[in-house]
Amino acid sequence: MGAMLFKSFEEKFRPILKDEFPRLVEYLSAGPRQCIRANTLKVDAKELRKRLEEKGLKLEEVPWYKNAFFVEAQEKVSKTLEYFLGYYFIQDASSLVPPLLLDPSPTDAVLDLCAAPGSKTTFMAELMQNKGLIVAVDMETKRLKALSSNLQKMGVTNTIVFRHDGRKALDMEFDKILVDVPCTGSGTTNLFFWSNKAVIKFSNLQKALVESASKMLREDGSIVYSTCSIDPEENEAVIDYAITQLGLKVEKVHVPGLKYREGLTEYAGTRFAEEVKDCIRFILSTIRQKDFLYAS
Amino acid sequence: MQVKKISPREVEELIKENYGSEISLDNFNVFIRKDQKIFLASKGLPAPLIEKSDYLLHFGTIKKNRKIQLSVEGSQLVGRTASKNIAVLDEENISKFVEGLSAKPRELVGCSIGNFVLVKHGNDFYGSGVLREGYVEGYIPKERRVMKEMKRI
Repeated sequence: MGAMLFKSFEEKFRPILKDEFPRLVEYLSAGPRQCIRANTLKVDAKELRKRLEEKGLKLEEVPWYKNAFFVEAQEKVSKTLEYFLGYYFIQDASSLVPPLLLDPSPTDAVLDLCAAPGSKTTFMAELMQNKGLIVAVDMETKRLKALSSNLQKMGVTNTIVFRHDGRKALDMEFDKILVDVPCTGSGTTNLFFWSNKAVIKFSNLQKALVESASKMLREDGSIVYSTCSIDPEENEAVIDYAITQLGLKVEKVHVPGLKYREGLTEYAGTRFAEEVKDCIRFILSTIRQKDFLYAS
Repeated sequence: MQVKKISPREVEELIKENYGSEISLDNFNVFIRKDQKIFLASKGLPAPLIEKSDYLLHFGTIKKNRKIQLSVEGSQLVGRTASKNIAVLDEENISKFVEGLSAKPRELVGCSIGNFVLVKHGNDFYGSGVLREGYVEGYIPKERRVMKEMKRI
């Protein structure tokens, strides 16, 4: 990160994160830790672990999902025969959390509003045992190809894919909707998009996506909203908009094994709805993972 | 996707003829595209959405003379109960196969030259290839191949 960018970043996030700010900087310097998720549509997770360990890979179970593992030998993970066979997916351990919170069942109709490249879509298909229905949409054709390629490799058969601007509601209703929005990525090592101007631009897009999702949600349905940004404008402000303008309610969630803190209820002189505190926020600097905020 | 729904029985019969495997595709809706590619979808997916979809699981491609070439995923569904047209590859040759190269089989189970064969290593199935004199010609799609410069472990 350049000095100017860091100064601007520090000015914004040190007051928000306080004593956690050094942990964020530590994470941004270190980068993410490799994680793999066993694809139980094709293989038993224990059997996969045994096979990979026999090849010399060191695996450590992710505390919040028993079928995912941190892997030490990063350079080898995409070169194994098991990877070719689609027996596991390489992803950030943090991106396991939104599907776990959405908790899709084999009878659900699920919408993945910004689906590509598909780490969460393929995980949801797995959680649904390839039953029910997933509609996975994204804006960019190139990214849809990556999504389709990943779905094929994971052996997914319950998913429909097409190009669609998520800001426009489909003429359909869903039991569960994942709104994993485009964002500045300020909670990741990829800070190319981050600027105060970009934060506002993304915040407006994110509100439009949540609004569209709310129109397609069945009564008593659930939306999980997630970002890999740590900016309140892209997180708490969007949830506040969902509560005050769209009439959505925030449900308190818990992820066993994951340490997190509650959402901010005030930022830069703006007071958010009290329920916003039930969102979760985490920085995983000790295990070098991304930062996400969720609400459902 | 412009596809036509077909009876699973048609594909099951082809699989039995080619690979001696008695699989059931009853859990799927089976579709064929103009280019003879066969796709699978879980039962219950709405027809209008199938038409709209850019993706369905590619199972295989029907070729001349009632032959069927299987994708990696197709071979994984069929392989467990297959009894013929199986080429077993050793460690060195499976590495070549996943790079998209031709590979020498260690063992052949009920194979004929010129036929499509399931490619097996250990208990795993890696797709299909065509058996030539002394080698299996690979058909791994480019995007699926393990890059040559990446040393496989």
